[in-house]
Amino acid sequence: MSEPDQETQAGSTDETGNSSLIETHVTSDTSVDTQGENPTSVVETRNLSVYYDEEQALDDVNLDIYEQEVTAIIGPSGCGKSTFLRCINRMNDLVEAATIEGELRFRGTDIYGDNVDPVALRRQIGMVFQHPNPFPKSIYDNVAYGLRVQDETVTDEIVETALKRAALWEEVKDQLHTSALDLSGGQQQRLCIARAIAVNPDVLLMDEPASALDPIATSKIEDLIEDLTSEYTVIIVTHNMQQAARISDRTAVFLTGGELVEFDHTTTIFENPADDRVEDYITGKFG
Amino acid sequence: MATESETLQRSGRFQYAEIRGKAFEAILIAATLVGLVALILLFGFMFFDAFGPLSASLEWYLLFFSTLVAPVSAFTLYCRRNPAARTANARASAAVFGGLVLSLAAYIVLRAMSPYGPLVYLITVSSMPLSVAVYGRYTENSYFVGPAMVLAMLLAIVWTFGSEVLLFPLLDAVFGLGNDLLGGVPVLGSVPVPVGRGLLVTAIAVGVPTLALANSVLRRRTSRAGILAVFAVLGLSAAGTAGLDQLIRPILEVLPIWSAYAGVIGLPVTGILALLITRQRGMRAGITAVVAVVGGGLAVVAIASAVSMDPSLWVVLFFGMGVPTAYVVGEAVISDRDGRVGVAGPFVILGGILVGAYLERLLSVTGPDSWVTPTLLTNSWNGLTATEAGAYPSIVGSIMIVSFMALMAFPVGVGAAIYLEEYAPDTGWKGRLTNLVELNIANLAGVPSVVYGLLGLALFQNLLNFAPGLVFSAAATLGFLILPIVIVSAQEALKAVPDSLREASYGMGASRWQTIRSVVLPEAVPGILTGTILALGRAIGETAPLIIIAVPTTTFTTPGGLFSSGAAVPLRIFSASANFAPEYRKGVVAALAIVLLVLMLTMNAIAIVIRNRYQQ
Amino acid sequence: MSKKRETELSSLERSEFIVRKERLYGQLLAACAVLTIAVTGGIILSLSGQALTFFGHVSPIDFLTGQNWSPLSNTPSYGVIPLISGTLIVTVGSAVIALPVGLGAAIYLSEYASSRVRGIVKPLLEILAGIPTVIYGYFALVYLTPLLDAPLPIRQTIIPGEFVLVVPSISTFNALSASIAVGVMIIPMVSSISEDALSAVPDSLREAGYGLGSTKFDVSTSIVVPAATSGIVSSYVLALSRAIGETMIVVVAAGESPKMPTFPNILENFTESIETMTVAMVNIASAESLGETVAYESMFAIGLTLFAITLTMNYIAELISRQYREEY
Repeated sequence: MSEPDQETQAGSTDETGNSSLIETHVTSDTSVDTQGENPTSVVETRNLSVYYDEEQALDDVNLDIYEQEVTAIIGPSGCGKSTFLRCINRMNDLVEAATIEGELRFRGTDIYGDNVDPVALRRQIGMVFQHPNPFPKSIYDNVAYGLRVQDETVTDEIVETALKRAALWEEVKDQLHTSALDLSGGQQQRLCIARAIAVNPDVLLMDEPASALDPIATSKIEDLIEDLTSEYTVIIVTHNMQQAARISDRTAVFLTGGELVEFDHTTTIFENPADDRVEDYITGKFG
Repeated sequence: MATESETLQRSGRFQYAEIRGKAFEAILIAATLVGLVALILLFGFMFFDAFGPLSASLEWYLLFFSTLVAPVSAFTLYCRRNPAARTANARASAAVFGGLVLSLAAYIVLRAMSPYGPLVYLITVSSMPLSVAVYGRYTENSYFVGPAMVLAMLLAIVWTFGSEVLLFPLLDAVFGLGNDLLGGVPVLGSVPVPVGRGLLVTAIAVGVPTLALANSVLRRRTSRAGILAVFAVLGLSAAGTAGLDQLIRPILEVLPIWSAYAGVIGLPVTGILALLITRQRGMRAGITAVVAVVGGGLAVVAIASAVSMDPSLWVVLFFGMGVPTAYVVGEAVISDRDGRVGVAGPFVILGGILVGAYLERLLSVTGPDSWVTPTLLTNSWNGLTATEAGAYPSIVGSIMIVSFMALMAFPVGVGAAIYLEEYAPDTGWKGRLTNLVELNIANLAGVPSVVYGLLGLALFQNLLNFAPGLVFSAAATLGFLILPIVIVSAQEALKAVPDSLREASYGMGASRWQTIRSVVLPEAVPGILTGTILALGRAIGETAPLIIIAVPTTTFTTPGGLFSSGAAVPLRIFSASANFAPEYRKGVVAALAIVLLVLMLTMNAIAIVIRNRYQQ
Repeated sequence: MSKKRETELSSLERSEFIVRKERLYGQLLAACAVLTIAVTGGIILSLSGQALTFFGHVSPIDFLTGQNWSPLSNTPSYGVIPLISGTLIVTVGSAVIALPVGLGAAIYLSEYASSRVRGIVKPLLEILAGIPTVIYGYFALVYLTPLLDAPLPIRQTIIPGEFVLVVPSISTFNALSASIAVGVMIIPMVSSISEDALSAVPDSLREAGYGLGSTKFDVSTSIVVPAATSGIVSSYVLALSRAIGETMIVVVAAGESPKMPTFPNILENFTESIETMTVAMVNIASAESLGETVAYESMFAIGLTLFAITLTMNYIAELISRQYREEY
């Protein structure tokens, strides 16, 4: 895979979007303006704070995620990256000790509102986890799982499309009914992505999807993620800054204590960050 | 000089430490051996007295060595080298021996109870949920199928079992009173009591789910066809349940008895087989399989009738053992190229035994003077002639008690475990409550079994006024006893399912129940089964609670049903161990003890095999 | 695309039916869990109900301090002390066997044995716990007692004129063989639970010991065993509680003659027939045609005593073992 390509691509996005860019500092409460060709925001958080028992994991986060972009979330370990991601599809509901304050809107609906069913929400916001976690079923059944639990008809075409979309079809088309656990780690992770997109979600959350994989598998996943933006909005948590620079359109930097320090176009973050702490973090002086 | 003396001193200390370490290790080994020696003594003494191995001639040992031991050892060695064959061997053995044991047990219980009753229950209990399931497969809106099936099953169980125990006496009283009061009124007064109560029970069993389902269907504004289908389903189930006593049973009893056996065993076996094959190889293969199985069953009946034997046992064996064996063997031969040979394992053992026995008779070789004989398993007790004494009624009783107990305790235990692991809150005051319940369950597992006997006594005899020592009370009492064991082991199995799988499922938009049903439970099933089998093994040998609830120690007739007087093998051993005549003391009782031990060991072995197979 | 999204948004709301369905399943499962509490409640109610009636006839003080137990005689007497002493004799006897042997086996399995040996020996030992107790009783009565009785009586002068060892011959029903059988039965309880506790000691502790030049003996006795004390103690308490509640072994092998313990010749207590609390219950239950008499109610009073003792012990064991679970 060729990195210069990536850079230019990211750069070009930057140029087109630069005019409409507004610094979204956490401290400044101004939301992103919507003039010009600025894309619509899919997920918006307002003053989002999360506590595990007494411990604060997210501190007053304001962040907008735009449609059909890759948004990377970076930061040192324990800074609340994963917590933030898990707020978006309410996976934190499964952690009983977690309390959530503030507002998180998905296409305008407050997802922590009374009427929202987390199960229905998760059907529109798919998730890929840090370690590949295919079900101990066949490859076919893994992809079909989401459709089955949503009471939708499973057809071979849908499974094939999802596997093709995840760039896995050619490798597994002859062994669809063998156990998914026989695949390699990288294939398993692509299967998990296929499983997530088979139900055609709106947003795809990825929690360090390549951290458990070798470099070749990682680059395949990265190619795949870029490819997915044509249809999906992707939010990816990563601790690999090169990865964030390569694949994301915008980057949010969290620092210890769950504070969102800076959120901007990826090139701006990596070339000309506004906050000194971000610069320290990116250049490796901190974290 | 000084350094030298120091090294010398040290080595001396080391020597002392070495001896001390060796002695300690020897003591530890001795301690471990105490348990093993006790085990060998226990089995050795009883085995010796039960089988009398010294009375057999050398030729007998040579004969069985060459027909049984040598081939089996050779085969085992082969399987050790070839893991695929080993797996196939394990599967085939499970099908053959498991099928053999289960079909014999089922045959014994059915024969004791007369198979017509169970057939009626089978049809009525399964008709409602099955028709709901079939309807659900062919409809778009299948949301309600799950809960409707659960409701239908619960209602059917309550209806069939509960009506006999609770509703009928109550209704008899009501109708009796009604008849007294309304005796003069035409029509109402002339309805005979049994018909009246049957109609009322049917009305309740059919009306309540109809109303509930109709309500939910109307709310979802399903198509008219959907509503009609629901009513059709309920109408069918109404027809099925309406004439339990009045209609179905007399009709069924016209049929020959073997067909009742075939119905009870064959219907579920064929159904499961059809499902399996359809899922794997498509509808056509499934239909072919069903036709083949039914044809095979009829052929067995025809052959048995031709040689004028009662086909019942053979039909049960065909469906219970033949069909699963054929499935496993066929699957291995078709799709498992490496392990194909492994399926011969159980047949090597069975063939060795049969050929050996045949040659033994042919060459008139002197076998051992064993107390473990067919008489022991098929006769009832004889307190005067030891060679005539058998434990047939007790064996039937034990099988009935343990199987009904498993039916009652397994779903409740697994359900409670699922609730505690997957639903119950962990934090706050509710979390403390959960903790308390778990502590309570752990403590229940340690309550002496005799105390459970008192619970059974107070609940069934004092409160519900049952006759003493019923199969039902015994099964329920032992069910309470093993409930905590089942719960704790099922909880362990559920805990072992990695959270990443749960997260993956929730992340896909699955609800809690969907996650449990399609991800968590399939992973936990081996662990749950292991714990349950061990609990069943414990229940088979349980004696004290049965004495307390006054299950008779000596019976000469087999229990005829759930609500007749029970019997159990350990009780037989208990009362016979008081007999001081040596041919009982060191003969019949030893043989019975060996039978019980072998049963328990087999269950332990199965549990260990399941655990090892899936704990990788 | 955005149109499609808008229509889907409405489905973020809860579907009433699915929520109800989920709740139904939750409630069904919760009902199963509640049933276990009902079992506990049922035990306590059924025991205390009849026991209270019993204490209406016999005062609790007489029950707990009386030295004569003869509920089925013409002049019944309900003193529980002989039964408690019988239970104690069997418990002490079995503890003498099972506690050291079980701990030794546990240390061997966890510290010395190879994983292959452990894989074979552990399930074999666990078979001991699964053998039906009525078979243990039969074994003790028919095989163990004659075996023990063969060399008896012994009258051996150890130091002439000073000390003569006297071991009387044992009766057909005796506490000794029953105690041995109970002891063997509870060995796997001690060894399994203790081994779990020993294996739970982190390897880093062991390595620290070896790093300081300790031998295997030192590491086992002065690092691993002390670290696992709470687990070992908890296994002891559980095993003793099991021995106290054991019924069939003592019913078959130890006889049914309630008596006060003899002092100072302690061995005699073991060679004679005794009666434990559990045996007394079985005796009353198997007596024919017994209505709701005082004797019948006394069975529940003993049951309540037994339940209270074992429940307390189990609770203590659970508390202790929770402590070691928290340690690592």
